[in-house]
Amino acid sequence: MLQPELIQLLTVSDVVDTSIDAIPTLTVGFSPKGSAFSSFTSHSTEEGEKIPYTFTSHQILLSKDHEFFEDGDIHRHLYLQNLSTCTADDLPTARACEFKCHISGCSQVFSCLDGYEHHYNTLHRHVCSSCQKSLPSTRLLDIHIQEWHDSLFSILSERQDMYQCLLEGCELKFRSREQRKDHMINIHKYPSDFRFDKAKRTKKNKTAKTNLLQKGISMEVSISEPAVSPYRPEEEDSMELQRTLDPAEEHLHAVEMSTENASAPNLPVPIPHTTDQPISQHNRGTQSHRVPRTVCFGQGRVRGFRGRGRRI
Amino acid sequence: MWRLNVVRHKAGRPDISLEEFKFKKRAHEKQLRQARRDRQLVSKRLLVNDDEDEEGGTMDTLASDQVLEYLQMITNGRESLDTESQLRALRKALRDPSAQLTFIKQQCSIPALVTNLSGPNTQCRLEAARCFHELSHSPHREVDPWRLRQATPYLITYLSGQSPKFTELCLYTLANMCPDSDSVREMLLAQGIIPALTSCIQIHRYNLAVVEAVAFTFSQLVSANSAAEKIIPAVLASGLIPYLLSGLTPDPQFGLGPAIECAWCLHYLCCSNVDSGTLVAHGALLQCTSMLVTLGGAVAKGSEMEGLELLIWPLLRCVGNLLLSGPLGTLQSHVNDSRFLAALCAFAQVFLQTHPALTRESVWVLNNLTADSSVFCSALLYLNLVPALMQLLHFSHGINTMVLRVLGNIAHHGREYCLHLAQAGLLSALCATMKMADSEVVTFSLEVLDQLVSSDPQLADEFIKQNGLPLLEAMQYNSQETIRIRATHLLEHHLTPHCTVDTSEVA
Repeated sequence: MLQPELIQLLTVSDVVDTSIDAIPTLTVGFSPKGSAFSSFTSHSTEEGEKIPYTFTSHQILLSKDHEFFEDGDIHRHLYLQNLSTCTADDLPTARACEFKCHISGCSQVFSCLDGYEHHYNTLHRHVCSSCQKSLPSTRLLDIHIQEWHDSLFSILSERQDMYQCLLEGCELKFRSREQRKDHMINIHKYPSDFRFDKAKRTKKNKTAKTNLLQKGISMEVSISEPAVSPYRPEEEDSMELQRTLDPAEEHLHAVEMSTENASAPNLPVPIPHTTDQPISQHNRGTQSHRVPRTVCFGQGRVRGFRGRGRRI
Repeated sequence: MWRLNVVRHKAGRPDISLEEFKFKKRAHEKQLRQARRDRQLVSKRLLVNDDEDEEGGTMDTLASDQVLEYLQMITNGRESLDTESQLRALRKALRDPSAQLTFIKQQCSIPALVTNLSGPNTQCRLEAARCFHELSHSPHREVDPWRLRQATPYLITYLSGQSPKFTELCLYTLANMCPDSDSVREMLLAQGIIPALTSCIQIHRYNLAVVEAVAFTFSQLVSANSAAEKIIPAVLASGLIPYLLSGLTPDPQFGLGPAIECAWCLHYLCCSNVDSGTLVAHGALLQCTSMLVTLGGAVAKGSEMEGLELLIWPLLRCVGNLLLSGPLGTLQSHVNDSRFLAALCAFAQVFLQTHPALTRESVWVLNNLTADSSVFCSALLYLNLVPALMQLLHFSHGINTMVLRVLGNIAHHGREYCLHLAQAGLLSALCATMKMADSEVVTFSLEVLDQLVSSDPQLADEFIKQNGLPLLEAMQYNSQETIRIRATHLLEHHLTPHCTVDTSEVA
């Protein structure tokens, strides 16, 4: 566990000069080349306001009663009172850190870095700025935006084959979603319950913990709402089901799932889905922390608009 | 006795199982924590005589009756031989707490004991002292030290005597009486307990059992809540310090007990911040650091000596606080051994799983060393100790924030320090810490990152190569403003010219 050189330094007792004066001291200071000189105490923004640093370089004096010393004191007193015989499972262990997703509205917590990385890469990399839908790849995101958020598309698709096959490399296009779906099933052997095009917004699920690796099937996954509880993937069974985005119902969805929301009435689960109105405008009112439209994540992203603003 | 080299394993006792013991211990620990929060954490020690075994306990009522009976005999008896055996029997009966209660309620009980304590018969003195010792350890509030105060002038006087076992007994009895109340302590001070203790450790300095007892008694005095006003200055002026310092070196035969007590006593003195200069002048800082280097060697060798942490802990705290007693430049001659840094890192790693708070305190000492010292920062880098520290970044419980402080201290010193830190892998470590759930860790990571990327454009490039930009961009939408501001600042001021798209160049 300890590095060999560390062990050697501490255990070998011969001629090595252990005086600290023998160690060369590095030059102190920041050269003016590169970025501007920065001090560790605060930083000015261009507007002149200072960011006060939370931590400054300083020594810390601790009194005997400080809570920092609690564990050590308890250990000492257990020893004094003859209770310090420890067995292995008695001892406190160091707690590993948790990792938390930074995206506003996603409050997922992970016990290891890999879990976090996987979550982020799966859910937050290809996100539609219009409807917050998360897609697994750039291509699918592009297709989604084109098919759902491009008004030109809906005009053109009446006259020509516009629905691309979802598979990379298959150049075929179709007149309708159903035709494309049939093609995917018949030619590319995708299962009939494969989730092809889905509605823009899905039910906001808030309760159970996610299983992101949904057997590798789901292509479209929705982002969780800002909430204390972790996210759960969509539960739609049927491909044809069109969920509504009626704002009122959306709000009710939110209320139903959140147990902390005391002001709302308690609704039975699940909420039945009503009409198949086309999805109109994504309602922004119910979300408190949201990724703004201008943000687009992932590699190869371009700063600026994707989706709505771009086609001009 | 409770010497660590004689392990008294409670699990070996027939009347209690290991599970029960563990359960009791956990419950007890909870009580201790609460007591500490209420600033009422005290412990007393009970000397168990070597020549006795734990006898099968008599019934409560029986012991109480016996106590009355023996007391009767003692107060009425004339012959010392009888008195001695009666006192012995009384002492055994007094092991039972309810008997103690019965005893104390008798008006003549304490005077009778005091008579014997101060009388000409030395065996009676011994037995009377043992009775007082049992009473001093009583769990009952009614058996409070104030009631035992008639004994204290004699107990204090006997500290200057030559009989080690008897002296030890008196010491622990007095030590048990110290923590309970201000009035008792004031009385003891007035009765000259401090000079008596100092003279005692002088006389018995080669008797480690007595040294342990003296140090424990002192630590009971100086750990009291109001000790800083009168007690600590008196102790510092008493000439005790050299004996405490020489007591820090453990004897391999005897065990760690005396060194542990001396160290804890020193710790209370150092934490009080009453006169750190005097302590440093006596060589406290030097002695503690060299002791820690020795212990670092033991730990590095994989020593499994039980209780090492009990000695390391107070020594770390002494050094940590004494480092504030003056500018680090002037203290450097006291902390001149570079192996001290290695020892701190060794403690931090070795005790991580068993005593994470000890890890945290080791890193705290590193913070106090590096906060304003290019010498120690350079040494940490030169000795290649930074990677070991960075491994600790994965642990909460205050450990990673303290490690970030140390790394921030080093980065603060300038460009060369930042470059060395980056070479040790700090940028990728920060990419991980910025993803952690604790927002304090994230904020501080951003600040250290700021320090690094602003010190040299190479480091900014390196950060981008490690895919740090998307993370910062995501942070701009974090729910906490402190994080958003810092992420934005970093992107706009230090990382913008290196971004993938610069529209001014396209065309």
